[in-house]
Amino acid sequence: MSDIAVAGGRATWRDRLGTGAESAWQPPGARRALQLALAAVWLLDAVLQYQSFMFTKAFGQMLAGTADGNPSVIASPINWDARLVEHHAVLLNTIFATIQLLLAIGIAWRPTVRLALAASIAWSLGVWWFGEGLGMVLTPGASPVNGAPGAVIIYALLAVLLWPSDRHAATATFTAARAVGVQAARVLWLVLWASLAYFALLPGNRTAQGLSGMVGGMADGQPGWLASLDNHAASLLAHQGLTASIVLAIALVVIAVGVYLPVPAARATLVLAIVVAALIWVFGEAFGAILAGGATDPNSGLLLILLALAYWPARKVPATASPTAAQPGGHEADGKGATA
Amino acid sequence: MIGIPSFVLDFFAALMLLVAAVSAGRLVLDRPWRRGVMDADIDGAHVLMGIAMAGMLVARLATLPNGVWTVIFAVMTAWFAWCVYRESRGRGIRVLVDSHHSPHLVHSAAMVYMFAAITAPAAASHGSGMAGMGGASGGMPTLAVPGVAFIFALLLAGYAVVDLDRLSGPAPHGSYLATVGAAPANAVLAGAAAGGGTVSPGSSSAATVRPEGGVATLPEQSVGPGRSAPAAAAPVGGGSVRDLLLNPRTAAGCRIAMGVTMAFMLIIMI
Repeated sequence: MSDIAVAGGRATWRDRLGTGAESAWQPPGARRALQLALAAVWLLDAVLQYQSFMFTKAFGQMLAGTADGNPSVIASPINWDARLVEHHAVLLNTIFATIQLLLAIGIAWRPTVRLALAASIAWSLGVWWFGEGLGMVLTPGASPVNGAPGAVIIYALLAVLLWPSDRHAATATFTAARAVGVQAARVLWLVLWASLAYFALLPGNRTAQGLSGMVGGMADGQPGWLASLDNHAASLLAHQGLTASIVLAIALVVIAVGVYLPVPAARATLVLAIVVAALIWVFGEAFGAILAGGATDPNSGLLLILLALAYWPARKVPATASPTAAQPGGHEADGKGATA
Repeated sequence: MIGIPSFVLDFFAALMLLVAAVSAGRLVLDRPWRRGVMDADIDGAHVLMGIAMAGMLVARLATLPNGVWTVIFAVMTAWFAWCVYRESRGRGIRVLVDSHHSPHLVHSAAMVYMFAAITAPAAASHGSGMAGMGGASGGMPTLAVPGVAFIFALLLAGYAVVDLDRLSGPAPHGSYLATVGAAPANAVLAGAAAGGGTVSPGSSSAATVRPEGGVATLPEQSVGPGRSAPAAAAPVGGGSVRDLLLNPRTAAGCRIAMGVTMAFMLIIMI
């Protein structure tokens, strides 16, 4: 069938509306689609960084708040950075927002995808320290429900796993394994979700009102419907902190080992991962508190969902065997002829 | 407490005026009234959105009252919804991703939402348009039902990155855009013939030659339903303003700039 939709010079409405053209467009491959999702999240981060709050001293004070509870070797540079931001809020925040905008564009623009992903890893690590206090993982208040081990470290992890390389494509059984290999990808998954289970069982989260207070606290400043959701969830968790923490930790451990299970079981645990991440994103993080204003990113829940999708077992494993991947014009390609 | 620096708002307002000017130029140069080019609706939408958004960003650029803009964009939304409906027959949900008009439907709907849901800051007292987002008006306007703003911002970000991906996508000789810019009319027609298709004036797509001898249609809407392939493949390097304005990358760039700016406005007014 020809890609030229109109024959005979008599165009129907559908032809005139361009259906013929768009029907020839093929969606990108799984890895490229996830790269684009990551780019969209960076774009969202960029516009969040342009909020008026970020151009004030309050942004610097917010950064300084992440130093609390951290060891001095971690906290001192955060405080130095926070003071710098307080004194040059407009200039530095404009630079921060623009960098994130460029990261988004760079990842979405195929010829620069490698450069942008590499830059995003460096940027994420810097923000993880100076902007998130290492995700508070060294503090007693760390919890998977409030974003530990830090949303931005998951950006870096996704950039590594979605790197446009196919060194391990022949043996990869899921997208995240194509660049780093199945074993490395599984270990990274295991470490991340096991660490979430560990954080869930920290003493502060096991207290009777620990989780309830955390969820209820997210209601402040939210729209009515979201505040109502948070308050109801907080009521359900009231005085159930220990039980809820244990249940959450068990679910997280099951998710952590899920990638080592046979494919049907692995799929089931990935569904569980998506559900847990969605619950965390909605109830624990209130969509990153974006609707309350002053948020810098959508927090970890959304990123955990993207991560789980990267581990979804593929039906056809080797991407290089795909006819579209083998040619430069194939839709699997994601930059300079590399396959995705 | 300060607001967003004026230079940021001025930059985005200037970008929107540029989009409006470019789209107006496309409308004039392409003479849709003589050729029945259907992309006139898209270019026209970009002109109106560019002017309206510039007025939202900078108070002195405001033109029409919010109510008038709401009606204009409501009509535009209805038009693009109808176009998407026509495209969707037999294609299902996929049409939301790769349809010709669905991004413009989202853009128009977002504009309706912005003008309908905006709540001016107490200190602002402008009679027409909105107060603008600068500090001079006394505060930042906000949007009612901010969850809708968030959803629109996500959609706009998604369409923007997909557009960027399409623009930089694979082509026989480097990027897709390079091919669009360089392909002479006869190569396009030869490619069409090799692929077994025909190209007629007013056809719905332009084509490039693939190595295997087939043809690839340009996925970007700006190629133009109803626009002839040779016209859409006008060389960029020719240097004329006409070629530059009518190039598909220009229209796609306008759409990306529009989407990013709209997402920016929605988020900062939450």
